[in-house]
Amino acid sequence: MLDRTPGPGPSTTPPTPALTPTPRALLRRGRTWIGLAAVLLVGAAAVLAIQGGIRSSGEVLGPEDPGQLGSGALVEVLRDHGVAVHPTRSLDATLDAVDAAGGDATVLLYDEFGTLDRSRLLDLVDSVEAGARLVVVEPGFRALEVLAPGVRLAGAASGAISEAGCDVRAATQAGELSDGQRLMTIDEEAAAAGWQGCFRDGDFGHAVAVGPGPAGDAGSASDAVSLVGATTAFTNDRIDERGNAALAIGLLGATSDVVWYLPGPSDADAATAPTLGELTPGWVSPVLTLALVVAIVAGLWRGRRLGPLVVERLPVTVPAGETRQGRARLYARSAQRAHALDQLRMAAVWRLATTLRLPRATDVAVIADAAAGITRRDPAQVRRLLVEEVPADDAALVRLAAELAELERDVTEALRPDDDAPRHPPRTPDDQPGRQP
Amino acid sequence: MAVTGRFVLLVALGVVPVVLAGLTAADAAWLALLGWLALSVGLGAIDLSLAASPRRVALVRDLPPRVRLGETVVSKLTVTNTGERMLRAVVRDGWEPSGGVVGSNRSAVSVPAGERRGIRLELRPWRRGDRRTEHVSIRSAGPLGLWSRQASLVSPGVLRVLPPFHSRVHLPARLTRLREIDGRTPLLVRGQGTEFDSIREYVRGDDVRSIDWRATARHVDPGGRGGAKLMVRTWRPERDRRIVIVADTSRTAAARIADEPRLDTAWESTLLLAALATHAGDRVDFLAWDRRARARVTGATGPHLLARLVDAMADVQAELIEADWTGLPAQVRRITSRRALVVLLTTADAPGTARGLLSVLPQLTARHTVIVASVLDPGTVADAANRADVDSVYLAAAAERAALDGDRVGAAIRRSGAQTVSATPQELPPALADRYLDLKATGRL
Repeated sequence: MLDRTPGPGPSTTPPTPALTPTPRALLRRGRTWIGLAAVLLVGAAAVLAIQGGIRSSGEVLGPEDPGQLGSGALVEVLRDHGVAVHPTRSLDATLDAVDAAGGDATVLLYDEFGTLDRSRLLDLVDSVEAGARLVVVEPGFRALEVLAPGVRLAGAASGAISEAGCDVRAATQAGELSDGQRLMTIDEEAAAAGWQGCFRDGDFGHAVAVGPGPAGDAGSASDAVSLVGATTAFTNDRIDERGNAALAIGLLGATSDVVWYLPGPSDADAATAPTLGELTPGWVSPVLTLALVVAIVAGLWRGRRLGPLVVERLPVTVPAGETRQGRARLYARSAQRAHALDQLRMAAVWRLATTLRLPRATDVAVIADAAAGITRRDPAQVRRLLVEEVPADDAALVRLAAELAELERDVTEALRPDDDAPRHPPRTPDDQPGRQP
Repeated sequence: MAVTGRFVLLVALGVVPVVLAGLTAADAAWLALLGWLALSVGLGAIDLSLAASPRRVALVRDLPPRVRLGETVVSKLTVTNTGERMLRAVVRDGWEPSGGVVGSNRSAVSVPAGERRGIRLELRPWRRGDRRTEHVSIRSAGPLGLWSRQASLVSPGVLRVLPPFHSRVHLPARLTRLREIDGRTPLLVRGQGTEFDSIREYVRGDDVRSIDWRATARHVDPGGRGGAKLMVRTWRPERDRRIVIVADTSRTAAARIADEPRLDTAWESTLLLAALATHAGDRVDFLAWDRRARARVTGATGPHLLARLVDAMADVQAELIEADWTGLPAQVRRITSRRALVVLLTTADAPGTARGLLSVLPQLTARHTVIVASVLDPGTVADAANRADVDSVYLAAAAERAALDGDRVGAAIRRSGAQTVSATPQELPPALADRYLDLKATGRL
């Protein structure tokens, strides 16, 4: 039937079916997964809400931390007995808290990353001289140098320690300590300055050292500074072993105020400089945020594909030289020189026989003699080259291979007509096609 | 849904109000940022709601069915807007990469409601076989050009890319030779299929065996001195012989030699031989075989033959399986029961792979003349001649080993009564054509 209309009108042409599902179809198809994801999200939120209150921050000796390495248990006990515990994260806050307590406070210092420098440690010493007590847990090298010259680190204890061996009250109350302690040695000068060690582990050192501080003068009490080698006695997971709890409570419970000082990032050197936010104008952060949004939108712009990927059906192709190269590498790896040379010789003898117009079944000795005769070489030498010589090393193999090629070339040269004769003789009428001789 | 570069620019322009507001107060800058983002998204949403639906589009494809490899065709796609809004769209036709779209595959069109527009794409495919497109993707932008709607529509199209037949440059020379053979009547050699042409007088040089004594006796020349003239019979070259070309499409055909798969060389050889044989008046049948017949052309003659051959070859690719030669004699018998020239385009270069072929060759040679044509790797010769260092000597040894294996297999093939033609990919088609002409000239078809 003839098509009389100028073209299919929009009302008559049905739209071409689409591959891409509509958003509604997408929603309908994915509703199982959307439902599952929603349930998971709600469940995760609920679990987070329930767990959030008791979640461990993972901080060692964290004062509110209920985790294994935190010290929530110790702090709770201290608070139950009327001791006010003030967690602080900076030196300024610590000194303020000590001042607020009227100078009569115990400062627990646990400097996990060695943040405090010498001047800040000396500030702490000043507060000690003003009457405060200082308990340093796991003192580092610098802290010992400043706070207790003459007391040095001496490694880990061999096991539990069952005797206090000093007259410090907290130590005698505890009586024994669990294993996991770290030891310190006290040299004679320090001992003379008033330092005494508790919980001696053989000849290796003491788990606890108590002394008057670096000045050693009358301004501070003889037990103003206590050094505890390990965190073991304070952590939630081991505080209930042996006399750990007694030692911790004895050291910290002597005053009504405890400043729980874990140095934070503001104690680092750079902390005194103004922050980046204070230095830049107010619009910089919004502009950076805008740049981030622009980057995301640009990613959406460039990343959205126009239609699905198209698959190219590739035919199989195999490089033909692969087997040859593989065989060559097999020869080389197993150093089959004689075998490799045999291949070259067989091919050479075959070609020589063809060049010399000898039958294929001719004995190789005959071919060698014929080749020697035509190239005026020593027959024995040619026979040695073609048959007898066994290559001893790679150099001999290369030499023999080159000589074989040379022999073939010489034979071909010798059989070629003399150079002064024309290579291609002019055509005789007999050569013309279409004529029978 | 998709966003455009214009939308990215719009969002980025928010830096102006943010900085202006930030000169007074930081909070104002944050407010300006939020306000600008809300404005951008709002504008985008309005734009999206005004965009024409890419689904309310009818597509009609106009595509030539076939093209020779290396030539260019024009594919036309008519986009009809069946919706009520102006369609401002970017259209991408989902051709395979080997479909060879010239230039960009993305075309911008504006189609008013109810009208249609054509999109022209030039295609220059660079791989033989069926090149396909399954879908057309349309991204329809709103009047502001901020956000777009996008959908892919089903619109299949197939373009059959035929083998190039580069070897047709050899055809004129072979046709000349064919005419020489044809014109060399009287042909005095008698073979199967030669036809009686005429009886003429004996001249010196003619084969005495072709003297027709009965004609001589009848043809008494009354004026002649001897009373009788010797007459010879002459024959026309053979015509109407059957040629069966069997191309091996198994794994050996996948090997790439001199940047051409063996299969493509086989196609070139087949096309040249078929073109020549058609001119010589012989009938050509074609079979692509590995474990089953991949393509088959029988009973075509004249100009239809080449067209059907290239069509059949177009989508045949080498398979990574071993050829099953035992089924071949039955296949040949199904094609013709007469004596025929069977050309096997395969690879016989290693005793291991040629064993199957050697076992069935006697069955074929008992009934037919058989040529086994295989592609030589020019790299073998080059590798065998290079003896510069240890590695190349080992490589030369391996190449010589391969050449010796090939020679052995060739000798075995000749012992079982078949002929062999081996040449590099460029030279195999003319070499095979020459062998065919030799057979024809000597009346051995």
